[in-house]
Amino acid sequence: MAPRIKNVFLSLGLAAFAAGCSRPSKISKEPEHGSANGKMESTADSKPDNPVHTIVMPHYEPVFPPGPGRDEFVAACVVCHSPRYITMQPRFSRTTWLSEVDKMKNVYGAHISDEQVQKITDYLVSINGKPDSGQAPKGTYGE
Amino acid sequence: MILLTDRPPQLETPIHYFRQDLTPNEAFFVRWHLEGIPTSVDLRTFRLNVSGHVRQPLQLSVDELRSQFEPMSIIAVNQCSGNSRSFFEPHVPGGQWKHGAVGNAKWTGVSLKSILDRAQVKAGAVDVSFNGLDAPPLPSVADFVKALSIDHARDGEVMVAYAMNDQSLPMVNGFPMRLVVPGWYGTYWVKALSDISVLPQAFSNFWTDKAYRIPNGPNGTESPKNLAKDTVPINRFNVRSILVRPEPDETLHTGIPNEIEGIAFDAGYGIRRVEVSTDGGTTWADARLDPELGKYSWRRWRASWTPRNRGQYRVMARATNAIGETQSKEQWNRSGFMWNVISQVDVKVG
Repeated sequence: MAPRIKNVFLSLGLAAFAAGCSRPSKISKEPEHGSANGKMESTADSKPDNPVHTIVMPHYEPVFPPGPGRDEFVAACVVCHSPRYITMQPRFSRTTWLSEVDKMKNVYGAHISDEQVQKITDYLVSINGKPDSGQAPKGTYGE
Repeated sequence: MILLTDRPPQLETPIHYFRQDLTPNEAFFVRWHLEGIPTSVDLRTFRLNVSGHVRQPLQLSVDELRSQFEPMSIIAVNQCSGNSRSFFEPHVPGGQWKHGAVGNAKWTGVSLKSILDRAQVKAGAVDVSFNGLDAPPLPSVADFVKALSIDHARDGEVMVAYAMNDQSLPMVNGFPMRLVVPGWYGTYWVKALSDISVLPQAFSNFWTDKAYRIPNGPNGTESPKNLAKDTVPINRFNVRSILVRPEPDETLHTGIPNEIEGIAFDAGYGIRRVEVSTDGGTTWADARLDPELGKYSWRRWRASWTPRNRGQYRVMARATNAIGETQSKEQWNRSGFMWNVISQVDVKVG
């Protein structure tokens, strides 16, 4: 039985972001549910006529539990995206997770070997998997 | 906002913001595809480049765009292709949005047609492609570029917007300018737009050829056991409503009027009718429609419900547009696009 860790991550998931960049001062949106303190800071906007607009993106990346294939997962996946791309998904069967990892390798060009594909899939199934139902959607892109 | 992912950012708007005609900039949904999102823009050096199959390539600063072209404004819904994806059964991979990957804003900028006219498009143009400042994390990952047909690009409604609700665009919503494609899904609304290229042939890349495609059939539906072989690029919005009040699991009261309200929109034909059911879809009554704010805006609607008895109820809403399209009872596709199942919320009357 895979450990049920998803709720732990989701409890971190309600963060507040300031989405402005051209305001007179840095702003932050109030937390919706008071559970997180994140904000995006607009650092160079203190003067409205400042021609350089910048933003500091906060990262809220969960620490992943040990498991088979964790090292491969961290090395190959987190280069391009936050692990939240995993934790926000519902539980998927091995077929679906394998299809997702294949997509990352073959379609998006992630630098992973066939052996690593299997190990990463092992890890995804161990933390957010479910038994195969035979109804697994496959081959989705661009979501 | 509700954080789906932090890198690249995907942020969802909490549904109570849809109790307003226009969605505030600081609460407007955010969806980027590539890790390398722009985090700094210098307006002294930024240029919108127009090139390709044109006689007069252009490099326009934001000031030039603002001062040398006729400004226009339009109120339009922007909705992510995958809005409401988390409700599909069986579940599909992808951003697990609830109903908050959508917003309605007043966009101000210039028509794409006026820019293309100044660039003097040559005869034989087929498509126009749009690239932004975001960049892929690896050379093997396709840059996010989208395209429209030349006729669509010159329809006078597609625009390059430098303001959103009369303010500069927030950085995460595409500062300093983004494409606005009224009635079409957000994937075409390229953010931090920096390059427009006119092409004498059909555009082709990963984001069009493989991503953002829907089954070529009614409402883009297919079944998990019989996936469509023929697919087309996603395009116009279908018609849908979103129940904004009551919110899920809210407790309502007997003997007093409880407000039911929501939004409805389509690809620009116009919302003709919204019906509400408080008995799980057995009987329906017309909701009152707020005034129209423009054909690409959403239209708010409201109804009042005085339940006599306590209990669990299912409140539902369905919208119908001016050409008779309405919401579906069931829907599925592999990518979780174009959700427009009749909206429903389960509430308790206590």
